[in-house]
Amino acid sequence: MPFILIIVYNIYEFFEKMNVNHTGLHEWHVKHGAHMAPFAGYDMPLWYSSGAREEHLCVLTACGLFDTGHMSVLKITGPDSYGLLQKCFSRDLNCCTGNEKKPLSAGECTYGVFLSESDGGVIDDSIVCKVAPDVWLVVVNAGMGAVICRHLESYKNSFDVIITDLTELVGKIDIQGPLSGMVLRHILSEPDSVFEGLRYFRFKGSFDNDSSHSDGVRLLDGTPVMLSRTGYTGEFGFELFCGYRNTVKIWEALLAVGERYSIKTCGLGARDSLRTGAVLPLSHQDIGNWPFLNNPWTFALPYNTEKTGFTKEFIGRKALENASYNMFTCPFTGYDVRKVADGIVIDNAGDVIGTVLTCVTDTGIGRVGDTVYSITSPDKPEGFVPKGLSCGFLKISRMLPAGEMLMLKDGRREIQVSVVEDIRPARSARYPIEQMIT
Amino acid sequence: MKDIDELNIPENKRYSDDHEWAGYTGDTIRVGISDYAQDQLGDIVFVELPQVGERFEKAQQFGVVESVKSVSDMLIPLSGEITRINTELEINPALVNESPYENGWMIEVKPDSNDDMENLMDADTYIKMLKGIT
Repeated sequence: MPFILIIVYNIYEFFEKMNVNHTGLHEWHVKHGAHMAPFAGYDMPLWYSSGAREEHLCVLTACGLFDTGHMSVLKITGPDSYGLLQKCFSRDLNCCTGNEKKPLSAGECTYGVFLSESDGGVIDDSIVCKVAPDVWLVVVNAGMGAVICRHLESYKNSFDVIITDLTELVGKIDIQGPLSGMVLRHILSEPDSVFEGLRYFRFKGSFDNDSSHSDGVRLLDGTPVMLSRTGYTGEFGFELFCGYRNTVKIWEALLAVGERYSIKTCGLGARDSLRTGAVLPLSHQDIGNWPFLNNPWTFALPYNTEKTGFTKEFIGRKALENASYNMFTCPFTGYDVRKVADGIVIDNAGDVIGTVLTCVTDTGIGRVGDTVYSITSPDKPEGFVPKGLSCGFLKISRMLPAGEMLMLKDGRREIQVSVVEDIRPARSARYPIEQMIT
Repeated sequence: MKDIDELNIPENKRYSDDHEWAGYTGDTIRVGISDYAQDQLGDIVFVELPQVGERFEKAQQFGVVESVKSVSDMLIPLSGEITRINTELEINPALVNESPYENGWMIEVKPDSNDDMENLMDADTYIKMLKGIT
């Protein structure tokens, strides 16, 4: 009997392992002592030996390297690829860039969501990159490649498009933080021409050597990569897409060069605290299967200038227009590092008005009097050392102005927080690239 | 993540299932969390401790340890009265990561009896338990 039990256990363990996906860097993480944990079907680093706090601060003051190979990449090609994305993606690709709302050009990308037709809930959020008028890349979250593929296929009808899931062929590394460009320039061939005009939400190059764009960005050894001025930290930086097999080589090259810039490898812990401080949502947590309305991210909907209606037809539009949805998602900042887990929200009359969607500690910020400063705030008081503040997102039953005080409560404690418009000040994501490369 | 062999599990301490340690300091018993616990929690940003003079029964919650990623209850490994708390942790909670058995201690307890100490695991048994977890 014990023998049989052992076999059964081992088969169970075998199937468990079969179901866990690994990025191209998994072996590297384990070998270098990363604290690993399951995330969206992948075994991913939560933090490395320096710890999530140091990693978070390093992205604010120097630069950090993130393995984001768990994310999915789809390629949409064909004469009707624009038409299919206009139908399914929330942004109006014909008027979405800059204050003048220009059409998305080749080499530009934009953030938006894919909505469910039935209820206007979010299937996933995404960055859509226009490679050419008939070639688009859709970057979605871990494990969502097949889901969004099916969603797009289901609305394909007579559209002449080909949808390909490239997830297993593409590696992805994010380098984030003010010194990211300084590190990158050492591994790029012709860095000056690569960085020229690479504004926020623009990209160059290709991870596919056969692409006509592959000469746009090459590493010193000739490896083609796609470099995008985007990220999930709110700080200046890049997302680097490469052939899956090149991931470890590029990761190690960036680390070797980055040593003199105090680069650190960063895990999901720092990623979560950085993105929250930057008021960026986590899909399936801050946005999800409820109508995509009344939240800080509705800029991703194709509103007209007056905000009285939409500029295009899209999947989910009718559901949003007909929704009787009275919940509001808003950011908050606490008064010390203490967090709540799965808490409820209580107003000053003592009534329960909602739930906590995300609550983390941004260790790079602190309060001095009524003002929140970041470790990078140019106007921070002398000797300012950030103690860290809890922050995150609430879903509540009425819209509250910034400054409104609330209590968050879980089974363990109550913490006081205030509704805010923004969390971590002095973020560098949009700084001009010329200013960041000296 | 540390391998079990890399963990510091001193032989002069006793250990609970919940990864607290207890060790004699004169008449009282000092309590903290083990090297395994601090390694699993990651960077500790806040420690909530009881008041001196409070009484706890074994396995009652006596405090909260908060890392960048999680908030966890700490359960007292023995019944008794709190005689001292480590106020240094208010200013520098990272001491728990840096020195879980020395500078990162949490509380001192005057035990109701010595039996509770006897019932905790010795270092070898605790290491065996950890090997079962990982």
